[in-house]
Amino acid sequence: MTDLERVWRECAPDVLAALVRGHGDFDAAEDAVQEALLAAARQWPADGVPDNPKGWLITVASRRLTDRWRSERARAGRELLVARRTPPGELLVPAPDAAPRGGHDDSLTLLLLCCHPALPAPSQVALTLRAVAGLSTARIARAFLVPEATMAQRISRAKARLRESGARFGVPATEQLPGRIGAVAHVLYLVFTEGHTSTAGAGLCDTSLAVEAIRLTRRLHACLPAEGEVAGLLALMLLTDARRAARTGPEGTLVPLAEQDRALWDRQAIAEGIGLVERALPAGPVGPFQLQAAIAAVHAEAASAPDTDWPQIKVLYGMLHDLAPSPVVTLNHAVAVAMVDGPAAGLAMLDPLVPEGPLRRHHRLHAVRGHLLVMAGRDREARAAYALAARLATSIPEQRYLNAKAAPPPADPG
Amino acid sequence: MKYVILIHANPDPWGHPTSHYTPEGRALPAEHHQEMDRRFEALLSEISDSGELVSAEALADPSSATLYRWSPQGHLATEGPYAEAKEHLAGFFLIDCASRERAEEIAAQFAQPGGAIELRPAMWPGGDDR
Repeated sequence: MTDLERVWRECAPDVLAALVRGHGDFDAAEDAVQEALLAAARQWPADGVPDNPKGWLITVASRRLTDRWRSERARAGRELLVARRTPPGELLVPAPDAAPRGGHDDSLTLLLLCCHPALPAPSQVALTLRAVAGLSTARIARAFLVPEATMAQRISRAKARLRESGARFGVPATEQLPGRIGAVAHVLYLVFTEGHTSTAGAGLCDTSLAVEAIRLTRRLHACLPAEGEVAGLLALMLLTDARRAARTGPEGTLVPLAEQDRALWDRQAIAEGIGLVERALPAGPVGPFQLQAAIAAVHAEAASAPDTDWPQIKVLYGMLHDLAPSPVVTLNHAVAVAMVDGPAAGLAMLDPLVPEGPLRRHHRLHAVRGHLLVMAGRDREARAAYALAARLATSIPEQRYLNAKAAPPPADPG
Repeated sequence: MKYVILIHANPDPWGHPTSHYTPEGRALPAEHHQEMDRRFEALLSEISDSGELVSAEALADPSSATLYRWSPQGHLATEGPYAEAKEHLAGFFLIDCASRERAEEIAAQFAQPGGAIELRPAMWPGGDDR
């Protein structure tokens, strides 16, 4: 990453937020910020980076925005539109670098806008990466393996939809805030899993989406230190990302948690994640991200896979099941139950899901069944379950792993 | 998540949209086709506006195909359609959407008189470690 890029990515959300707060029009503000960046790319290498790059960018972008407004206003009928878009109390534009109202960080307000409920999830993700993380459209498109034109379309449609829905840059009403923060957390989680489950690094982005998600969640946590679920999300990301070096073997093969070389785990990230969960959980209320982080913490604390405190994991999955039931939670709960009470108990939870239900065609159900059948010594049935899982898998490394598990054992030479 | 929507059909003569050239399609009145075409256009603008449509191609007559088969002596090329197929691949749409449910919702709207629509998930290079 160049110096210019680093400065830009650090300033992007604040510059954009200042513009939107001052002028109200997200779409036009975003264009003006892009123009300011182009100006910076031309001038800074020659003149040097200004002492206050953020202030410089805000000034240049504001000027572009005002110029554009003037030329637009010159056209007949435009005054009406501008007046309609601007609530009466805000016709007196505050200085773009004035302190935000209401004591909230601007980047939080920007995140809330990008994750507006009027937008479908993929658009929320794309807009957040563009406007808050400051990633270029080309880079977001590469990360999601779609053509740049498709991603550009998704972003511009999202901006248009924000405008149509009358979404406003501002902190939502108190009673809406928890739900809106929940939506932001969900989007950041989607960005993280996209980065975490991709083969990451090489060829995708020079900073992976997982790292980006952690950076944004850190920022969100700094704005809202008392929000237990935000702390839980940050902890979950840190504890999961700590395994990054251990989760891929040579030639990109996938190494499951139980088989990973724990010496490769990032101890510093683990310590930070555990600290966050330990502070958040007693403060309550407990939420799904905190519980998932607590489970990841139990795994992280085990010196080896057999040392894992499965009774505690079983309890935590039980709580997660009560709080936020999902088919995937049921699968993981069944594994914990099998580890504590034996494979038959775990299989009893899974067997009803095989003939019907949303997981019937999902590879995870059959992969987990295969694992528990091996534990139960039912090898032939286990291979059949693994074979079915392999056929349903859509991830190439997972399919390779499952096919190997499904293969019959080498013929006994005796 | 990426999916392809494959259009398998045997229009005679070969033509697009294939639904106009299949025996089932030809049996329908013109107003019916106009209504179906209008709905299909609306669907296409919807998924292209939302950024879900990645790319799409209509394919030429299978008789314009060349088949290559490998042999230890080198490849062998033959002209003409992939003979074993009763219905030919007539076109495809690559979509990228949030869930399987959404992909199914889109693909179902491709159903047309004559031929069959196949929704297939694309494989991806990553994976989860749990």
